Amino acid sequence: MSTRDLVLSALFAAIIVALGLVPPIMLGFIPVPITAQSLGVMLAGVVLGAKRGMISVLLVLVLAAIGLPVLSGGRGGLAVFMAPTTGYLIGWVFTALITGYLSQVMVGRDQSGLVQTVNFFIAALCGGVVVLYGFGIVYLALVTGMGFTQAFLGSMAFIPGDVIKALIAALAGRAVMVGYPLLPQRA
Amino acid sequence: MMRSLHVDGDSFLHRLQPGVKLTALAIVSLCLFTIQTPAVLAIAAIIGLAGHCMLRISPRQIWLRLRPFALIVVVVALFTAILNSPGEGLTAFFRLAALALFASLVTATTTTGDFIDVITRAALPLERIGLVRAQDVGLSIGLVIRFVPEIVSRYEAIRDAHHARGLKLNPISVAVPLIITTLRSADEIASAIDARGIRRQK
Repeated sequence: MSTRDLVLSALFAAIIVALGLVPPIMLGFIPVPITAQSLGVMLAGVVLGAKRGMISVLLVLVLAAIGLPVLSGGRGGLAVFMAPTTGYLIGWVFTALITGYLSQVMVGRDQSGLVQTVNFFIAALCGGVVVLYGFGIVYLALVTGMGFTQAFLGSMAFIPGDVIKALIAALAGRAVMVGYPLLPQRA
Repeated sequence: MMRSLHVDGDSFLHRLQPGVKLTALAIVSLCLFTIQTPAVLAIAAIIGLAGHCMLRISPRQIWLRLRPFALIVVVVALFTAILNSPGEGLTAFFRLAALALFASLVTATTTTGDFIDVITRAALPLERIGLVRAQDVGLSIGLVIRFVPEIVSRYEAIRDAHHARGLKLNPISVAVPLIITTLRSADEIASAIDARGIRRQK
């Protein structure tokens, strides 16, 4: 890994941490505030690609594990890895990996802006909703002993918010690619 | 801005090796999952709570540490109690509470530096097979801690620029300039690290 890749991963980890410190942003059209930290995880994949995106998320989790309150709401310490919702944190790593991988494979420089945005959206949706909830729900069901159906029902309320975040990640990812391209491209 | 959750002290737990504490935590957690009796799990939770009282911090501070987990534990326990049975809800409550309390205890009695040492040592076998460089772990952690305050002040500058133009904050118009201005500095930082020979090249 080159020093530049290491620095990019560390800087993005710092962005994810900082997004957990700033107050939630309200969207104009829905009355629900957007907590920016999980948006940051999708953005890591969309902007940096699979490998560097995954490393930046791993760094955030390592910082949390060693007792720094880096997760939104000032959470941190080993207790966050012993909670019923830990599956979602583990899922973050794969959110960045899958979102990043799909972005690398699907998005090309020669595509039109709309196609790029749609492809980024599909990548963020697969990583940030399908994969994330897969990990979150399975972990919740296994750890608490509540059934899979119950775990799914309990998590469903949060899915619309994450779909909106995937859309924001797609629009922001495309804008960053225009301004400062970093995503590794298919040859 | 980022204060570690470590609490100074010289209790038995403080003096224990970090590696021993982490191994013990893993074993205890596995045991908690195999125990099905609510009474035994309740005793474990009480031991975890008693451990917090030995840290010599005020009850209010203990509550502030536990608050982030209290809500989710209660919600999941209620959910299980309603959907499955009250008995299972009680088991889930005490098990999850005990897990969170023991983990929080290890965090409170171990310094960030000790943790980094443990991680670096754990990464050495991975270094031998060429997957990571163990020293990079500490370097990356340091970089993140160093740049968080800078990124927060960048966020504040972007927020003020929005206000000055009479614009409302919008996730895209905040995230894009924040990401681009931050990542642009990567080249300079990387050159600075290489110029000082911090990562010895093979």
